[in-house]
Amino acid sequence: MDQNYTLYPVKLYVYDLSNGMARQLSPLMLGKQLDGIWHTAIVVHGEEFFYGGEGIANCPPGGTSLGEPNSIIDLGITEVTEEIFMEYLSSLGESTYRGNQYHLFEWNCNTFSNEVAQFLTGSKIPAHITDLPAEVLSTPFGQALRPLLDSINIAPQGGNTFNGHYGQR
Amino acid sequence: MEDNGGEDPVNNNNDTTVSSEGSIIKVTVKTPKDKEEIAISEDASVTQFKEEISRRFKAKQDQLVLIFAGKILKDGDSLNQHGIKDGLTVHLVIKTAHKAGDGASSSTSCTSQVGSSSGSSSGPSSAAHSSTVGSTGGPASAPPQTPNILTGFGDLSSLSSMGMGSANFMELQQQMQSQLMSNPEMLSQIMENPLVQNMMSNPDLMRQMIVANPQMQQLMERNPEISHMLNNPELMRQTMELARNPAMMQEMMRNQDRALSNLESIPGGYNALRRMYTDIQEPMFSAARDQFGNNPFSALGGNSDGGVQPSRTENREPLPNPWGPPSSTNPSEGGGGTGTTGSSTTGSTNPSVSNPLGVNSASLGNGMFSSPGMQSLMQQISENPQLMQNMLSAPYMRSMMQSLAQNPDMASQNPASSPSAGTNPAQQLMMQQMLQMFAGGNASSQTPEVQFQQQLEQLGAMGFINREANLQALIATGGDVNAAIERLLGSQPS
Repeated sequence: MDQNYTLYPVKLYVYDLSNGMARQLSPLMLGKQLDGIWHTAIVVHGEEFFYGGEGIANCPPGGTSLGEPNSIIDLGITEVTEEIFMEYLSSLGESTYRGNQYHLFEWNCNTFSNEVAQFLTGSKIPAHITDLPAEVLSTPFGQALRPLLDSINIAPQGGNTFNGHYGQR
Repeated sequence: MEDNGGEDPVNNNNDTTVSSEGSIIKVTVKTPKDKEEIAISEDASVTQFKEEISRRFKAKQDQLVLIFAGKILKDGDSLNQHGIKDGLTVHLVIKTAHKAGDGASSSTSCTSQVGSSSGSSSGPSSAAHSSTVGSTGGPASAPPQTPNILTGFGDLSSLSSMGMGSANFMELQQQMQSQLMSNPEMLSQIMENPLVQNMMSNPDLMRQMIVANPQMQQLMERNPEISHMLNNPELMRQTMELARNPAMMQEMMRNQDRALSNLESIPGGYNALRRMYTDIQEPMFSAARDQFGNNPFSALGGNSDGGVQPSRTENREPLPNPWGPPSSTNPSEGGGGTGTTGSSTTGSTNPSVSNPLGVNSASLGNGMFSSPGMQSLMQQISENPQLMQNMLSAPYMRSMMQSLAQNPDMASQNPASSPSAGTNPAQQLMMQQMLQMFAGGNASSQTPEVQFQQQLEQLGAMGFINREANLQALIATGGDVNAAIERLLGSQPS
């Protein structure tokens, strides 16, 4: 059954947005240890895909202004071809992952990576990444900064936005 | 296909022992846009499943692509084969009749660059190109060109007008530069683009671009030779040729380096070179740092004035990048002994990495943190969290925090004093809030009298009538009543 279709590896690129500062400052500021502020992207078919304040974007792997990823997690393999995947992403970009829906805690790059990972391979991304917002919000510091953080969009530079011509912004 | 599943507890139907043959399972079918629960027989085939789905989703069966656990479900398979059981989710993609044209092509061709298509050169290169032209859309001579180029690229024009989220061309440039940094072949591909070559062979246009840069204008005032050079069309043309043709550029650079090293050996030559460097090249580089990389053009042309750094060894630095990133590494390395520009490069570190929140730190970074002293302080802090704690608890720090918190204007003045493209109100607010939080964490923003109200009352009730002394003691002990009492008793002769 598998012989008819080629298999494509799917990887999760994990970036630490704080560049190490979270690991050092988090016990001090939050009261608990956070190893990083994780931004993730899915790499498949030789391209990196991520979701940010401008919607779904893609670029060459490691091609955002964040540089090389902090770690790369192997999510498995998928049969989904590039064509189908692009269709899928276009639909997502029009419906549930538009740029203006971005929310730092609740609907962010990791939400997107999680969903795409499940679509491609059936497995989710590691829990310590998806649990990060909850961890932060459970500290007084996180709560205090919440109104401010609500307005932040993270959009690493260097990507091409999908469906740019929709001009959602 | 009759419902034997009526009595089956559908919740824990994952083990096949409970369900009998042909029972109905409920499978969630999820598209990017919505999801539906489909009841289907457990040992149905994929074809039957698709029939059901096509009815529900109003799509043709051959448009449906089902994916489960990373595998595409083919018509010949059965659901059982793939392990699809009750309560699980299957992903569905409905193929649209036409290929998702612009969106897919422009996005997938992120890496497949100019080489593939001639006219409609894809994504970053032309967006980059159009952005550079657009940035000089200001000066009156450029506009006729700008709309042509931009409108020539269909959806890409809206991409650049959308400005990737901001109408600020500087951001576009930054983005382009970071793309360039990450993908060096892009540069050569851009160069090979006939359109780019055309543009570059137009010396007037190039001159406009360079002149439009305000720092360049300043430089020109200070060093008239530069304006001479820019006004000399022959030289400009030669420079364009150089920029266009990397091989030729390398040759020229090598010649330059050889000539320069010869110069060095002449007595007094080194000093002359050094003077040239500090007078011309340094301000140029620092000018280019903030802005788009017009710098290398001047560097190329300025080479004839001898502005190349006096290096003791052969210059092995990567060639100046005509579209290069503003944070060029040349000044700090090439200068040999001249480490003067070292400090000023701190502000230009890759913004979105050092700033944890990924906010456009070009403005934020220039606020309080751009001074080298502040930068090194931040670095030390991050290396030693204890230091931060100490720093925060130092008494003078507390009073500073308090005053800052009480006087948000002062706090806002700090970031606002940056001359760079405005710290927007959101960021200022963030700074204030952070400071207030810190201040609030350390000490309340009220006067000690109010703060220690309760303790003062306690002391008064105990018989310490000297309110002043009480207050002093409380302040000294930070509100600790017992310690304050000790203090008071200790100071009074009794």
